[in-house]
Amino acid sequence: MRKTILAFLLVSLSAQAKQGEIRIDAKTHTFPNGLQLVVVERKWSPTLSFVIRCKVGSADEHPGITGSAHLLEHMLFKGTSSIGTTDYEAEVPIMAKIDTLAHKLTRAIEKTRSPLYRGDMSEVDSLRAGITRLQEEQRQYVVKDELWETYLKNGGTSLNASTGNDGTQYFVSLPSNKTKLWAFMESDRLADPVFREFYSERDVVYEERRLRTDNEPGGKLWEQLYAAAYIAHPYGWPVVGWASDLETVSREEVETFFHQYYAPNNVVIAVVGDVKFDDIERLIAWYFNPIPPSPKPPPAVETVEPEQQGERRIMVEYDAQPQLAIGYHGPAGGGIDKEALDVIASLLSRGRTSRLYRSLVEQKQLASYIDASSDFTRFPDLFIISAAPKAPHTNEEMETAIYEELEKLEIQGPTEWELQRVGNQLEADYARGMRSNLGMAFRLSDMQALVGDWNYINTLKEKREAVTADDVKRVIAKYLVKNNSTVAYLVKPEGKAGAHTALPQSLPEAGPK
Amino acid sequence: MKRILLIAVALIACANYAAAQEKRSIASQVIDTLGSPELKWQVPELGKEVTRHVLANGMILFLMEDHELPLINADVLIRAGSIYDSLPNMAVAGMTGTVMRTGGTKSFTPDSLNTLLEFIAGSVESQIGLESGSASMSVMSKDIDIGMKALSEVLRYPVFDTAKINLEKSQIRESIRRRDDRPGGIAAREFAHLVYGDHPYGRILEWDYVKNISRDDLVRYHREYYHPNNVMMALSGDFDTKGMIKRVEKFFGDWEKAEVNLPPAPEVEFKTNPGIFVIDKQLTQANIIAGHLGIKRDNPDKYAIALMNYTLGGGSFTSRLTSRVRSDEGLAYSVGSSFSTTSRDYGTFQASAQTKTPSSHRVLEIFKEEIARMQRELASEAEFETARDAYINNFVFQFDSPDEIVSRLMSLEYDGYPSDYYQKYLDNIRAVTLEDMKRVAEKYLKPDQMTIMVVADTSKIVGDLGDFGPVKHIKLEGPKVE
Repeated sequence: MRKTILAFLLVSLSAQAKQGEIRIDAKTHTFPNGLQLVVVERKWSPTLSFVIRCKVGSADEHPGITGSAHLLEHMLFKGTSSIGTTDYEAEVPIMAKIDTLAHKLTRAIEKTRSPLYRGDMSEVDSLRAGITRLQEEQRQYVVKDELWETYLKNGGTSLNASTGNDGTQYFVSLPSNKTKLWAFMESDRLADPVFREFYSERDVVYEERRLRTDNEPGGKLWEQLYAAAYIAHPYGWPVVGWASDLETVSREEVETFFHQYYAPNNVVIAVVGDVKFDDIERLIAWYFNPIPPSPKPPPAVETVEPEQQGERRIMVEYDAQPQLAIGYHGPAGGGIDKEALDVIASLLSRGRTSRLYRSLVEQKQLASYIDASSDFTRFPDLFIISAAPKAPHTNEEMETAIYEELEKLEIQGPTEWELQRVGNQLEADYARGMRSNLGMAFRLSDMQALVGDWNYINTLKEKREAVTADDVKRVIAKYLVKNNSTVAYLVKPEGKAGAHTALPQSLPEAGPK
Repeated sequence: MKRILLIAVALIACANYAAAQEKRSIASQVIDTLGSPELKWQVPELGKEVTRHVLANGMILFLMEDHELPLINADVLIRAGSIYDSLPNMAVAGMTGTVMRTGGTKSFTPDSLNTLLEFIAGSVESQIGLESGSASMSVMSKDIDIGMKALSEVLRYPVFDTAKINLEKSQIRESIRRRDDRPGGIAAREFAHLVYGDHPYGRILEWDYVKNISRDDLVRYHREYYHPNNVMMALSGDFDTKGMIKRVEKFFGDWEKAEVNLPPAPEVEFKTNPGIFVIDKQLTQANIIAGHLGIKRDNPDKYAIALMNYTLGGGSFTSRLTSRVRSDEGLAYSVGSSFSTTSRDYGTFQASAQTKTPSSHRVLEIFKEEIARMQRELASEAEFETARDAYINNFVFQFDSPDEIVSRLMSLEYDGYPSDYYQKYLDNIRAVTLEDMKRVAEKYLKPDQMTIMVVADTSKIVGDLGDFGPVKHIKLEGPKVE
């Protein structure tokens, strides 16, 4: 029954349960084709959660096809040669015609981008119209969004997928009597996806970009921060992709990308909930074993970000109140320096006793919001401090105050109390992280994919408790320094200052619109 | 890894439309043969899985043990809310709720309470919204006495430190100053104001209503409503029920009951405010909300409406609006419709989308067509079955954790639903017919009287928005925060 999350029944009624007695006990299996499985059995509710993690993200792209990992994630909901179609054979020639027009369209768009171009948009428009007509023709064979519908009809919740720099996850929670349905649909789309409706979906993704980045001040600021902080490594481009790539990336390019990275030997499955390990292992073997591993291992990311040569500062104009983000290059996940940075993020901004909150929000009241973040990633990522000033205070004032707090922490180091607080929070986070099946499945698949061992979760507390006050001081001096920083300000466009601000008297007259 | 993108934004909860209805894929025949063993579970009940206990002072407890993890959680509801207050006083409730937690208590200074709770990685929070006051506590089970002490101090003995009142005021002022930064925020706020007018559901918070609030106002508000006979508490986690009742008595038993007089809440007058309301802002995407007042939560048609709306735009991908606007034409990432039934008075019907500015007219056209078709034609059997089966099969997820179960059962009583509401829920869903879906579409959808809110760069709109009704421009004045 409860062989998985053990210990609890033994110690829970004791008010003095010692720390660290709860441990996640997962079972694992690697199938002959390389597919990895991590399972935690929990019986509380007759439900279970599945996460399929493909070890591919935007960092695996190259300029020209940025956004492909994410677009591919969307495409994997479009069905297979048997899901989502009444007649796949009839679709094939239509898709080939669409591809031909799409290539012409790409060339036409490229032409219009040239300063020497003297024509109008009529070629672009007529090619677009041609693609739309063919998509309508194909639609007679399409069973719309069948995969999605089938899941929902069968009680699927939290159904979605996500893409980041490092990985792509496909997830759903289902009543526990629907495991076979999951195995059938997921194995089919891994083995044999069909990228139908590609070009309309590309437009959808462009709308997603408009929603999250182009018309969202925080999203815009972060995109520009990353682009400025990285001059070589792929973490510099946005997961959603650059706008121009979303106009021209082709179905074949995304298909090629798929074949390079989507194979069982590059996939981790995590299942948490009301299931027996032996049953799910057998089921997955039946459905996934026939899928062959990729002939070549997926390509590696070779580029290493060169050492930063001095502070970078950027201004991002947008019609909104100011915001600030400071990014420092830090190490990849794993290792004492990373653990120390995680501790520092917590010391700086977790809760009302944290240093930046106390100083900038409560005492000086310079900021209405402040956050420090450090994530576990495949390649060296940014440690980011972001904040919003409280008028009449400014980004500049906040920036100075943040540096003062960093300096203080570097010189004095954290107190014993602070370090103990961080340790206690880790323990509680660990327990709270186990409350939801889906949450646990994410954590397990994340660690299995990034470190190659889900059990890393069980060692995090110990690793972070090994961080000393001296480590904190040393790591601040090493990473959180001016010449390793990129500072991004969100500001109103020139001439629009004061447009919607409360302090017209202190600002120049609004210029022409 | 902060930069994570999803296939879909969270919508409410799928179905094919028109031509696709009778289509069958090869896979669907395989899926039919997969079968699924019967799912054995029951809706949790008071007196069985969950204990309901009333203290002598009238405080109502809901308790559920769960020993899997060393955690205990509490959710508290208090009958209060800004809906009972006039426009100039609309901010008092919210501030009271926040500063009860941040402004210190009889035994704890603001800092000492933060220090105590954060050291044990616990939390106690408090807020007051439109229709309820609420509080929460979460601690490791070994720290339950600290958690209960902190929770009882916050609920019973807040001292409302003046510095923290001023801090909260300046935080609210900054949020008012920033309220036009995000187009989605503008559209939602102005739409609510257009359909509800000055009713509390539609009011817009202004600095003028905040700046003169005094400590006395907060003390008075707290004294008015925070009495044990006006409080419900749901507890779940690693405890023994009898022991927990004793513990609650220890911390709350001597809280004396008192008379609470809730003023009558103003009623929403059912009316429509048709027209196109346009706010001009430099953006590359238009934010569109079209809709009108909907139903009250005790409306017996709500099950039929739920299924009808699922097919129209609530069922994400294969609902008609998503299918046409997103999947067929690639015009939006986020599109759908909702019929809200969470508040006590009339909720809204809303269809919404964000689309590149030149497509605004096309999106509204599709909204109109699909709403009209919902009223004109019966949905297909396949659409109906998808909606119904989705509701039935995902019901188990409403009860998949102990804290969710106790909180649900508490809210049921707070909101005045019958105690067998969840037991009868599936029967109510199963009773809905295809004809009911059409009937409620005719009765509750009003495509000709929609309030249509568009936040966009109006110079880039292609086509005449006047096709959908009289166009009125709303100028954003910019919030006054002096």
